Amino acid sequence: MKRKALSAAVLAASLVGLSACSSDSAESGSDSVETVTIGSVHPLSGSLAGVGGLMNDGAKMAVEDINAAGGIESLGGAQLELLDGDSQGEAQVGQSEAQRLISGGAVALVGTYQSDVTQNVASVAERSKVPFVIDVAVDDKILEQGYKNTFRIQPDASSMGQAGAQALVAMGEETGEPIDSAAYIHIEGAFGDSVFAAFKEEAEKQGITITKEITYSGSNFSDATTQVSEALAGNPDIIAVTGYYPDNLLVAKAVGSMANDTKAVFGIASGAFDDTSFPAAAGDAGTEVLSANYHYSATSDRAADIRARFEEKYGKPMETASMLSYQAVEVIAEGLEESGSDDPEELRDAIAGLSLEDPLLAFDGPIQFGEDGQNENATVIVMQVLDGKVEQVFPQQFATAELVFPAGSGN
Amino acid sequence: MAITEAPAAPAADKRNPLTAGGTRITLIIGGIAVVGLALVYLLGDREPALITQYLVSGLLLGGVYALVSLGLTLIFGVLGIVNFAQGAMLTLSMYLVYVLQSSLGLNLYVAVVLTIPLLFGFGWLVQSMLLNRLTEDASHDRPLLVTLGLSLLIVNVLLMIFGGRPKSVDAPVSGSIEILGALADTQRIIAFGGAVLVAAALTLVLRKTSMGLAIRAVAANGTGASLVGVNVRRVYAMTFGLGAASVAVAGGLITPFTTLVPTAGEQFTTLAFVIVVLGGLGSIPGALVGGLFIGVLQTVGSLYLPGSGSLILVFGIFVLILFLRPQGLFGAKQ
Repeated sequence: MKRKALSAAVLAASLVGLSACSSDSAESGSDSVETVTIGSVHPLSGSLAGVGGLMNDGAKMAVEDINAAGGIESLGGAQLELLDGDSQGEAQVGQSEAQRLISGGAVALVGTYQSDVTQNVASVAERSKVPFVIDVAVDDKILEQGYKNTFRIQPDASSMGQAGAQALVAMGEETGEPIDSAAYIHIEGAFGDSVFAAFKEEAEKQGITITKEITYSGSNFSDATTQVSEALAGNPDIIAVTGYYPDNLLVAKAVGSMANDTKAVFGIASGAFDDTSFPAAAGDAGTEVLSANYHYSATSDRAADIRARFEEKYGKPMETASMLSYQAVEVIAEGLEESGSDDPEELRDAIAGLSLEDPLLAFDGPIQFGEDGQNENATVIVMQVLDGKVEQVFPQQFATAELVFPAGSGN
Repeated sequence: MAITEAPAAPAADKRNPLTAGGTRITLIIGGIAVVGLALVYLLGDREPALITQYLVSGLLLGGVYALVSLGLTLIFGVLGIVNFAQGAMLTLSMYLVYVLQSSLGLNLYVAVVLTIPLLFGFGWLVQSMLLNRLTEDASHDRPLLVTLGLSLLIVNVLLMIFGGRPKSVDAPVSGSIEILGALADTQRIIAFGGAVLVAAALTLVLRKTSMGLAIRAVAANGTGASLVGVNVRRVYAMTFGLGAASVAVAGGLITPFTTLVPTAGEQFTTLAFVIVVLGGLGSIPGALVGGLFIGVLQTVGSLYLPGSGSLILVFGIFVLILFLRPQGLFGAKQ
């Protein structure tokens, strides 16, 4: 009942005038739109606390930047406020945190890094009719539910697998080193399986043979020697890898310790290979490792400025995940700007119709969402570890350094 | 001479489970392992070179498992405390090594040696200040809950201080050597050696020193030991300290090949409990043999059942062994 009355009020008010409507629609008791609350759900404790903290900081910094630049103009310079939620890496906790944030007045949510948590938060957002912008969560299934209130900025798992295979073929052609075969090592579960399935389909279409698929358990993995020796047994051109940070680091180290004729280690949606701490942790084994992933745009001045200020403020390098959280808050702010209202349903419509130029990620074009809520221009680019740093090498328009392929040919 | 056996019940196995060798069971397990491996080589339908690689990797992984389980079995065997903080203490020792190395610029293995007394002190304090107050009424749930709380405390304090971003240490040795055509990582070989050394040192301490005698006496019969003048609380603290010191060696030696995050140690906890129960509660040789056994089983098993499949095999065999021998491989008959 309350919601119906609310919608009526919004409708009436929007006919009459602009800013007046917002004060009527402020459900959570604030008397005028001075602040608009955004909820952020990330794993701030538990095993993913490191990246979760970075993402929360990224969202916080976006809010501060937007406020410093005058807030939301169409709402009379309303200031943004970020409410933190800690999912602890658990789907149930994430769900109750999302509920708490919405009842605390959040008109939009960002989150959550993990696919299972994201799925639960998306269902809460759908029920409460509050827009939810996913910063990081890869599983295709999340948007297959037909949700109207959930949007995703990053590419999904299957499109990353597919784009990874395409990039591999394109790089092979460009360097005159065609790739005929690949062994694939990936983590068990929806993430690894779906990236692999999409890669396999595309790669086989392009004439690449998958010599071997090797899976490992994410929860109990402290040595990759056996998996890598099995992958190398088929003598593949490429070892493709999908997984998270600690396990992919082990894979890279194991490949580095074995004599082999592969042309490169090629991460697809790998949590390690384009992380800023990877080159130092992997040492020699990390040299010239390739990684196809979504990535902050190293060629964008705006992204460079944000990263520099982030590092100064928090003393840590701003990883891509954190940049995505920043971007997600920008998407919500732009939606508020467009709708001129802090009503969640109007905000949802504005976000659905958005076309946000100058994304902070290396994407094909502006951020705009399709019917299912997926950013249509999300894509992956290829990074490579060169001189102890992660550089963007492919495609040319995003390159910050020259691709070395096959790996080892640059020395 | 002075090392009299614990006043055991007449019909029971007369040896103390802490150090009992169990030649027969060792032979049986060894025999089963050899037969199993021979079957894999002959009928396994896999390349021999690959099997050898899996075997060597499995043994080295088993060394890591054994290292982690040794401290746990001591605390379990003497104090009867299920130490849920084992994984967190492992992580704590890894971070100590990291701090000693990165701030003082010490060699990794020097840092490991320095961590041992630090963790011993930590373990001593935990037992004497915290757990001794709870073990009086012979209730086992309260220490269990306290160690669970302790583990949460350690993990979150580490998270607060160091953040959750992955860290790594520089190892003075790296690379690998070839054993029978299979590749063996040097750092893992050192960890394997560490496991054998810790097991030998603990056995020696328990068998040859008066402190060891006191610990064995308390393990056999706490009340009896206190009647003949053993300071039980001190022995408890000493044992927890020794257990923690073993954990320090484990954490230190696995640091170079582990990504350092505040939850790094947790992945070993479940298997460490399995190994301790499999080897026999409180048995040092049991932890060593059990660790190696599980490591090889899991790794060679993954030739046929990749990923979590190999864990199904591990737990399946675990249940089977407990069915045939409920006291564990080296455990004394109840």
